[in-house]
Amino acid sequence: MFRLQGSKVLAVDMTGDAVKAKNGSMVAYDGQMAFKKLSGGGEGLRGMVTRRLTGEQMTVMEVRGHGTCWFADRASEINLVGLQGDKLYVESSNLLATDAGLRTGTTFTGLRGASQGNGLFTTTVEGHGQAAIVSDGPAVVLRVSPQYPLIVDPGAYIAHQGNVRQSFQSGVTFRTFFGEGGGEAFQIRFEGDGLVYVQPSERNTIAGDL
Amino acid sequence: MTFREINSKMVEATVLPGQRLFSQRGAMLAYKGDVSFTPNLQGGQGGLMSMLGRRVAGEATPLMTVEGSGTVFFGHGGHHVHVINLTGDTLYVEADRLLAFDGTLRQGTMFMGSQGGVMGLVRGQVTGQGLFTTTLQGQGSVAVMAHGGVFEIPITPQRPVHVDPQAYVAHHGDVRNKLSTALGWRDMVGRGSGEAFQLELSGSGTVYVQASEEKL
Repeated sequence: MFRLQGSKVLAVDMTGDAVKAKNGSMVAYDGQMAFKKLSGGGEGLRGMVTRRLTGEQMTVMEVRGHGTCWFADRASEINLVGLQGDKLYVESSNLLATDAGLRTGTTFTGLRGASQGNGLFTTTVEGHGQAAIVSDGPAVVLRVSPQYPLIVDPGAYIAHQGNVRQSFQSGVTFRTFFGEGGGEAFQIRFEGDGLVYVQPSERNTIAGDL
Repeated sequence: MTFREINSKMVEATVLPGQRLFSQRGAMLAYKGDVSFTPNLQGGQGGLMSMLGRRVAGEATPLMTVEGSGTVFFGHGGHHVHVINLTGDTLYVEADRLLAFDGTLRQGTMFMGSQGGVMGLVRGQVTGQGLFTTTLQGQGSVAVMAHGGVFEIPITPQRPVHVDPQAYVAHHGDVRNKLSTALGWRDMVGRGSGEAFQLELSGSGTVYVQASEEKL
């Protein structure tokens, strides 16, 4: 059971079950806990090959035991996401913890990934359960509906879920080439039906420099 | 209650005539009233021997004495500030985490080896506390700094608490702490979970943990 203690600490109450969490993110626990390293990107041999090829290597540990375990990551804000069979797309660096019952995998994001400064691949979380994602500053959850597409700065995007199509749009004009760009040369456009998580801070991206 | 939290990163202290406060030098942000700040060469209380003790122990953060009547605002480096009220028991904290404390508290230096011998020394190295740590004892309040927010975990004899050494801030009460290792063959081959060392606190008291694994 995930619960937030303040906005920066995640407390997980466990009764013999397990959670997957980012390596080294445990700050304290009581009761009995065992920590074991797992590797992200999916299970089995296929997962291993995917990880090697994609570079989306999140080092994950499995925490199993009885008691309460507290997690935190460099004082980042934590957001809880409930999944009911849908899929969450999140950058591996923004994923803090998931229920052990959730499946994690890797997907190709194309040009959008490169513009975010995160590489060409992203992590997916799928199943029924809870996940905790971290953001630099409190994240806002924006709804995308068929009538209202959403356009997000690649550096501020952290995750999305639901039935959403994403495309990449650029506002590059001749001005950009003269160094007169507005700093918003690239955006990600979301269409469909779902939720997008946006943080009030921008990572360094190629797009941000233009 | 001398300190009042204005927001998560700033505290307000009320200074009354005849009372003293100690604070980290340069941590004053603003003040109202007639307040004087004098650098404290001794780095705290006690006589010459205490001063020498702190110098030798490397627990001598530059302190200043705050006296007069008025209110003073303290904050430092954008760190989160947490106020701990002591009622007669002893607080163990690193000197550089101390923002300000009541002059009524007795300040001391503890040798890590005195709690658990050699393992105590190893613990000091792993947690970055070094060989010595500062103790504050008595009735009064202390403002400590941490990276990220601070939360408290109660320790009871039935429920020992394990803390990541890097996230440990301070503890008080009748608490024994020891370093527990969960080193397995996986850590040897570089496949560790990143949680090889843990600080095990048992007894009765409270431990303060920060929401981050970064030092100040």
